[in-house]
Amino acid sequence: MPDDGPEIPDWEDVARRYGRKIYNFAYRLTGNPHDAHDLAQDVLLRVRRGLQSYTPGSFEGWLWRITRNAFLDGVRKKKRRPTVPLPEGDHVDHGAAPPPEEVLAAVRLGEDVQKALLDLPYDFREAVVMCDVVGLTYEEIAEAIDVPIGTVRSRIHRGRKLLRERLG
Amino acid sequence: MTHPDDLLSALLDGELTPAERRVVAAHLDGCGECRTELADLSMARTALRGLPRLELPEALLAAPITAEIETADDTVVPLRSRRRFGWAVGAAAALALAVGLVVTGDGPAPAADLDTLAEQHTARVVVDPGFVTIRMTVDE
Repeated sequence: MPDDGPEIPDWEDVARRYGRKIYNFAYRLTGNPHDAHDLAQDVLLRVRRGLQSYTPGSFEGWLWRITRNAFLDGVRKKKRRPTVPLPEGDHVDHGAAPPPEEVLAAVRLGEDVQKALLDLPYDFREAVVMCDVVGLTYEEIAEAIDVPIGTVRSRIHRGRKLLRERLG
Repeated sequence: MTHPDDLLSALLDGELTPAERRVVAAHLDGCGECRTELADLSMARTALRGLPRLELPEALLAAPITAEIETADDTVVPLRSRRRFGWAVGAAAALALAVGLVVTGDGPAPAADLDTLAEQHTARVVVDPGFVTIRMTVDE
């Protein structure tokens, strides 16, 4: 897909081309298949709606900004929820639960690295996941999270440093 | 020269300008501490990049379309709530039928007939509660 072409991207194409990256980003940021499934679903829905008003520009920046905002909105929603368990059947259900094979496929994959990743402060985790899991350039990351490139550079560096310490 | 710190990660990612790269390379030549740090950073980077890539669950490709259809008309109650509501109506109908018939059955004159009727209906509803709920679900 051209970054600056005049065409408005088609949702099916975006979902097929970026869906897997979005899911991996979601999984590495949340650390579990249930939240990853919900987040990826939310992102794809936002992309579908957003494409109607999408102005051709830097597609990567646009897409990952949506992804990041969806994640942060999810975190805020969780924080607002009561800490005591809700009665059975009264939980907030964001969509269909992932099928068992999806859960099984996701467990025990890079567990130690994943655990260390989840221990990182959010800003660092987000930066290293965008760089090393999604494969974005510093410039794309800067655009997605709306910070200067120097900040991206610093966050990636500190994220990797902390991760290295935690991995022992 | 001070240690280049975050330039080391950027070096690994090929995100330095040629000028920066020359400065960092020169520093690394004379600084064992930074060479060790570079090795550590490289190890963390490799660990992250080595994380298994999960396949996108196919269900996720279809999900937004379904969700869009459900939310296309704001006045329509989402399917999930509607189903729950259907069950509630079913349960309420069963309860009303049972209670109503039993209470009415306490009346004086047509007591015998109503008692029989109530017994039959209550028995049907209580013994086979699934009948009402299944029918309600299908009726949706």
